[in-house]
Amino acid sequence: MGDGMHDLAVIGGGPGGYVAAIRAAQHGLNVLLVERDRLGGTCLNRGCIPTKSFIHDTKLYNAVKRSGVLRGAAGVSLDAARMLERKNQLVNNLVRGLEAILQSHRIEVVKGQARLEAPGRMSVAGLDGARVDYRTRHVVLATGSRPQVPPFAEPDGLRVQTTDEALNTEEIPRRVAIIGGGVIGMEMAGIFLNLGASVCVLELLSDILVTEDHEIRRAVAVKLRQRGVEIRCGVKVQALSFQGEGVGLTCADAEGRVFHLQTDRVLLATGRRPVMDGIEPARTGLQTDGPYIRVNSRMETSLPGVFAIGDLVGGMMLAHKASAEAEAAVAGLLGRKKDFRPERVPRCIWSVFEIGAVGLTEAQARAGGRRIKVGRFSFANSGAAGAMGAGEGFAKVIGDADTGEVLGVHILGEHATELIGEAAALMTLESTVEDLAEAIKPHPTLGETLMEAAMDWSGGAIHGLRRTA
Amino acid sequence: MENDMATEVVMPALGLTVEKGTIVKWLKREGDPVERGESLCEIEADKATTEIESPATGVLAKILVAEGIQVPLFTVLAIITAAGEQLPEAYARAGEPPPADAPGQAAVAKAAPPPAEPVLPLSAGRARVVPAARRRAAELGIDLSRIQGTGPDGVIGRNDVEAFLKRETQSPPRASTLARRLAEEKALPLEGIAGSGVRGRIMQADVESALEKRDAPALGKVIPMTRMRQAISRRLSQSVVTAPHVYFFTDVHLDPLLEFRNTVLSGFEAATGLRPSINDFLIQAAALALADMPLLNAYVQGEEIVIPSEIHIGLAVALPEGLVVPAIPNADQAGLAEITRQRIDLVARAKSGRLALAELERGTFTISSLAQFDITHFTAILNPPQSGILSVSKTRESLYLADDGAVKARQVSTFGLSVDHRIIDGAVAAGFLQNLKRKLEIPAFTFLRV
Repeated sequence: MGDGMHDLAVIGGGPGGYVAAIRAAQHGLNVLLVERDRLGGTCLNRGCIPTKSFIHDTKLYNAVKRSGVLRGAAGVSLDAARMLERKNQLVNNLVRGLEAILQSHRIEVVKGQARLEAPGRMSVAGLDGARVDYRTRHVVLATGSRPQVPPFAEPDGLRVQTTDEALNTEEIPRRVAIIGGGVIGMEMAGIFLNLGASVCVLELLSDILVTEDHEIRRAVAVKLRQRGVEIRCGVKVQALSFQGEGVGLTCADAEGRVFHLQTDRVLLATGRRPVMDGIEPARTGLQTDGPYIRVNSRMETSLPGVFAIGDLVGGMMLAHKASAEAEAAVAGLLGRKKDFRPERVPRCIWSVFEIGAVGLTEAQARAGGRRIKVGRFSFANSGAAGAMGAGEGFAKVIGDADTGEVLGVHILGEHATELIGEAAALMTLESTVEDLAEAIKPHPTLGETLMEAAMDWSGGAIHGLRRTA
Repeated sequence: MENDMATEVVMPALGLTVEKGTIVKWLKREGDPVERGESLCEIEADKATTEIESPATGVLAKILVAEGIQVPLFTVLAIITAAGEQLPEAYARAGEPPPADAPGQAAVAKAAPPPAEPVLPLSAGRARVVPAARRRAAELGIDLSRIQGTGPDGVIGRNDVEAFLKRETQSPPRASTLARRLAEEKALPLEGIAGSGVRGRIMQADVESALEKRDAPALGKVIPMTRMRQAISRRLSQSVVTAPHVYFFTDVHLDPLLEFRNTVLSGFEAATGLRPSINDFLIQAAALALADMPLLNAYVQGEEIVIPSEIHIGLAVALPEGLVVPAIPNADQAGLAEITRQRIDLVARAKSGRLALAELERGTFTISSLAQFDITHFTAILNPPQSGILSVSKTRESLYLADDGAVKARQVSTFGLSVDHRIIDGAVAAGFLQNLKRKLEIPAFTFLRV
């Protein structure tokens, strides 16, 4: 038996779980956090942070190689081992930092596999195998997700990998086939491209990045093809076979015609599935929604006092979405009702372009039956973008034509993932597109592109040719 | 007043539910010659667009309200002068922007700086301020040109001065832009609404729940009528007071039509991709009956009976806020596929509030159906200025004595017809209803387009 009664036990130490733990502790709650692996979860150890580290290094490498002003740039090479080492160091630093933060809040961190016994009761099998029981008033489930491995594939970790292995491999493949044209596939495609690999993307659906606005999808596909990526949509991979040093893929196209591909490495980017270890719905009685745990807008599950957040409950599998859900869950257990608003979660993609988006796509907004207006601004007309050699891109604002409500913002281009934060803030403040157009932006910055798109929406951008009706 | 020298173009009454209109586009420029009846500008009100015609022949001397600006009804938008005539002094000054600080300017990034608040050109002059208001404004030192009159033709009353003072002196409750806009649109004061946002900021959801509370009927409560409800109320009272109603009923035997629809449905759907409802057949049959008996398509105008050349069938569509009646144009000429397509489109747009004014006003006859309710028959009030409205009740099983002496069941609906007795006599109304009944009971002949 663990000592006494906890106010809150959090299962999982990723960006959902640790945010819940810290926030609850700040409100004076006695918090227990159980993590069976390293603190920081997928985001810190196997996702956001490692990829951003690689993206920074490979982008720098690629930019130097392509630079027209640096002398001797053509001979530059990238040390993949150092790149990996830098990433590992970064991750280690952040994990240690997180441990210190949790400690400073007097959060009890227990290493081991948690098991939800019943509402209010939980046990943890420690690393030594001993099981300890805990009693707790509330539980937040934040077990996260793991890569979904399709039935035809058995990853060997070398030639057939998920992102878990790919982010820990020094060797740069000559050819890589990425199965899945979603966010993860597109990010990995960007990294491999910058490393000089030849990339092929195989997507089951009719387009890549299906959750994004059609203009974003088109721009990404065009850019990928320009950079030599083969994108094949409507393709079902049927089998993988190890052939010599490489891998053979048997695929069927949309018409059912079978074809074969040869590659050096296969990356499985076919989505992620929730981790149910220790919280099995069949045993615990947690209600589910497809493969996910069912929750309401306050992150309450079907069991009293039990909340679930993050990848476990589906929706967008993003660290900041899990953190926002953690805030809603903790507010709820403190008795301050706070609804999680999924439509205000920004989506960020780092691929051949950076993409930042929040809210509805144009197609979704039109389907909603409201009268909408769309404002656009091209990075080609931005002095700031031109100065950093990043004239490719656009900002697009979709607003309700009657109320001015910001329904969706889509930005593609350099630092789009930074720029989208402003749009998310505006939506949270319930500002209108006109507000966005009125805020004064420093010049020359990329932030002006969003202001100009809002001005275009409101009647006319300044740095754009006059629109002819 | 110098109106004898120049003609004002005003924002007209745009249907009964509308209080403000927005200039979408000026079709003429200052200095252009205009003919009486020629379109001057496009305006938008309550999600419908229409054009304003010139009230006089002459020259468009001055545009007073720029594109993109919303103004109350009866605001002067422009001045027409006779050719060669000077623009009167009062108007010449009026287009200059007042020293306003109102929001909304960002929405109107246009070449010429438009007035930030709607301008009533003569509000600072002598004609459009009630004396009490002028005294009060002088007392308070308020510049009358900053005040928007809400009286007829924009006359500034004392209440307008008081409201302006209140707005100026009170720091308004903190609210998000969307919350503020919604509250303004629904005429809900923000005072007293509890804000759920950061530091008590009033958010959209707070306004929505306050509106729900305000508008929910409950015992012992007084609810202000919405603009739409006020319009419906006025219109129906006017109809009852001016048009003496008289009602007729008949039972329509519907088995033949139901059978006819079943027979043609699959082929019709394969050919057009549309599934006509019983209502669509009814719309066409009514239009054909009106073509046979045009007096039912007429309306009273002064001492005249006006019979429009076209037959547009209005459909009463119930919305949570009230009733709208979009009309299917030329329903006697249109084929069933066209009627079905139009009906689906109009009803969908009625529900999403995206009907054009013309679509709401063009009806020459109305059908009101309560067929989905368990109502055996009802009377309807005429939709002015129309002279006929058909009320359709649920289809029910009814026993009858067949020719062979056996008692059998058949599908029957009781149709009611209300008419304006000033111009339609009982025999004419009865004839029309019988004509329609025949058309529906012998569908093969009615819908055979020869």
